[in-house]
Amino acid sequence: MTTKELIDKLGLEPLSKFEHREVNGVFISDMLSDVMTGAQTGNLWLTIQTQKHIVPAANLVDVAAILVTGGKEVPQDTIDLASRFNIAILSSKLPTFELVGKLYALGLGGK
Amino acid sequence: MADCRHRWDMTDTRFGFVVFEKCYHCNTIRTFFSTEETPVLWDKYREGDCFWSRVEVAQSFQFDLKCADCAHIEKFGDLMGFLFCTSCMDDCEVEKLQKKHEKDRTWVLVAFGHFPEVKKNPIPQRKLDILTDYFNQRRDTSRSRVKIVSFELIKDLPRCKGVFIHDVGMLSEEPPKERKPVF
Repeated sequence: MTTKELIDKLGLEPLSKFEHREVNGVFISDMLSDVMTGAQTGNLWLTIQTQKHIVPAANLVDVAAILVTGGKEVPQDTIDLASRFNIAILSSKLPTFELVGKLYALGLGGK
Repeated sequence: MADCRHRWDMTDTRFGFVVFEKCYHCNTIRTFFSTEETPVLWDKYREGDCFWSRVEVAQSFQFDLKCADCAHIEKFGDLMGFLFCTSCMDDCEVEKLQKKHEKDRTWVLVAFGHFPEVKKNPIPQRKLDILTDYFNQRRDTSRSRVKIVSFELIKDLPRCKGVFIHDVGMLSEEPPKERKPVF
């Protein structure tokens, strides 16, 4: 499933400029150390963190996209940094628990 | 194994904190990795002529790399963390490298060792190359790549506004709006 398909199926809001790519799993964490040790390339990373350091963390492990949940506001400098480096930041007002349920129903299991 | 091209996996991962301390007598900064439960911020103590105060505590981790083919282990206990460049100084070598590699979709990240030891014994280029290899092996390099460089390329460390890729302020009610530079 691609990031475009996920956006369409789940009503996600794309915040940054990026090229769509295949998503192969889901990783949920709000700790960068956890992401850097555990997330895998092509994962969709769900988090409520919005500071700009999520962008290099996401890039270091090459996640397919960052999905900021719970309607958390993402600062413009985070969005700009992500756009500069082709990192997808998506947003949803839904809480993480509900989103995970929907992702699982779409066939995207854990990593 | 000299011939091995090494396929790296992260191993012996340890979660903890990077503690940044400053001596207000001589302005020296020092850092260390601690697995102590939540090191106390602003803790002050004297050590010889130095009056140390903890100025930052960041949740982080340490790791080693192990080759999946030959089982060779490369230890990275000397690695403090990675910093990404925020383009704060046009004439900084890191910024110049970042601009040079951006069109090739290569991210430049700066590896720091622990202070003050790293000033005398910087992380050798061989190990920085291994880190670069590891993070590139972990990704689809047809889309983008990573290049790990030494902190020695930073033009003026006290003025650097680069941001470390670690978590601070996780125990505060509101996330910090902006990170203050630690050097």
